[in-house]
Amino acid sequence: MSADASDLSLVRRVQRGDKGAFDALVLKYQHKLVKLVMRYVRNPAEAEDIAQEAFIKAYRALPQFRGDSAFYTWLYRIAINTAKNAVVSRDRSPVEYDLDRSNTDESYDMQGRMKDSETPEGLVLTDEIRSTVNAAIDSLPEDLRTAIVLRELEGLSYEEIAAAMACPVGTVRSRIFRAREAIDRRLREVFEGGLGRAEELG
Amino acid sequence: MNEELDSQLSAMFDNELPAAECELLARRLSRDPDIKARWGRYAVIGAVIRAERGIALEGIVAGRVSAALSSEPALSVDALQPAGRRLQYRWWQPIAGAGLAAGVAAVSILWLRSQALPDGSQAVAPALAARTAALAAPAAQALRNAIAPVPDSFVVPPVSQRSTMVVPATELADYVVAHSAFSWPVSRGNLLSALMVSEPGTSSTPARSDQPASGVQGNAIQNPK
Repeated sequence: MSADASDLSLVRRVQRGDKGAFDALVLKYQHKLVKLVMRYVRNPAEAEDIAQEAFIKAYRALPQFRGDSAFYTWLYRIAINTAKNAVVSRDRSPVEYDLDRSNTDESYDMQGRMKDSETPEGLVLTDEIRSTVNAAIDSLPEDLRTAIVLRELEGLSYEEIAAAMACPVGTVRSRIFRAREAIDRRLREVFEGGLGRAEELG
Repeated sequence: MNEELDSQLSAMFDNELPAAECELLARRLSRDPDIKARWGRYAVIGAVIRAERGIALEGIVAGRVSAALSSEPALSVDALQPAGRRLQYRWWQPIAGAGLAAGVAAVSILWLRSQALPDGSQAVAPALAARTAALAAPAAQALRNAIAPVPDSFVVPPVSQRSTMVVPATELADYVVAHSAFSWPVSRGNLLSALMVSEPGTSSTPARSDQPASGVQGNAIQNPK
């Protein structure tokens, strides 16, 4: 089994003209990419802008991606370069930055950003999501919680988790799936009751 | 969705699904909004577990990227063509490089000949001739020595510095006799020793070579205990 098989299958679909597959890649890596970019910029809104730019660059460069490296490694490299360039250009023209971007570049829509992530509604939704997920994790049985935390927090593979929990790999897969399902049931209520943005992407 | 499909989706999210199953699920994922929404929530769960503070969890970046790319043309096989075209262009590059190198070499040779030969040949020729003569002198001397008649005498010629690599016959005979005197009785009687010792005149000092040999032989016989 290839470690990057699922990403590669989505990448191949994008390369054949399936934009929906690229949505799936963005959904999967958007949080990680924003977190990565925030090592270079402290402002979350600016980090989102840079992450967005990195994704668009990646999409345009995908025809040249041959799968020699993992997709996320390739994507992270683009994001880091984009973030470094953004920091350099901002340092060169710190005054012009805020004045010019809202007028010249459609992707840097300041008002749009305020509506999405910095408004009280957006912050409340994020906090609600966070508290919902944390509450759901706390209520999980011990084996499911351990499996999902080892996967998401420690980044262990199924095989490593199986060794750590002394169980078959198939059991690990089942535990992680059941943990996600239990959390997702509660999370779905928040999204459907809130903005439901993820569904809008389809 | 059924449970098996959900389980596959979870495994695919973790890059733990076999490639063959990924192909089928990727098609559904890219087209089915429910599956895509679930996929996005899996990402949110991971972000919360990793405590990624300051990050909007409701997929803002994804929505904006999707909107930005809606005006972009979809990638297609045509979009992949540039890489293929580059490969097609590359086949002649080694040939062109070799041709260019050969051309530069030819021009250099022609230029050197046209620049250096007329004047340089006159200046270089005498020096070259002198050096050739100096190198040829020892060889000519060696050739004369080889052609000269061998004197019918067994007088050991004085050892010259140049012939250190050639062992004179007399010295060789002395060495064989002396070695034979100190060797085991079994090996002492080998053919070469016998010939050298028995052949008269092979040693310049036959008495000296015979004496220790018999003495040692006598010791060797008396020595077994």
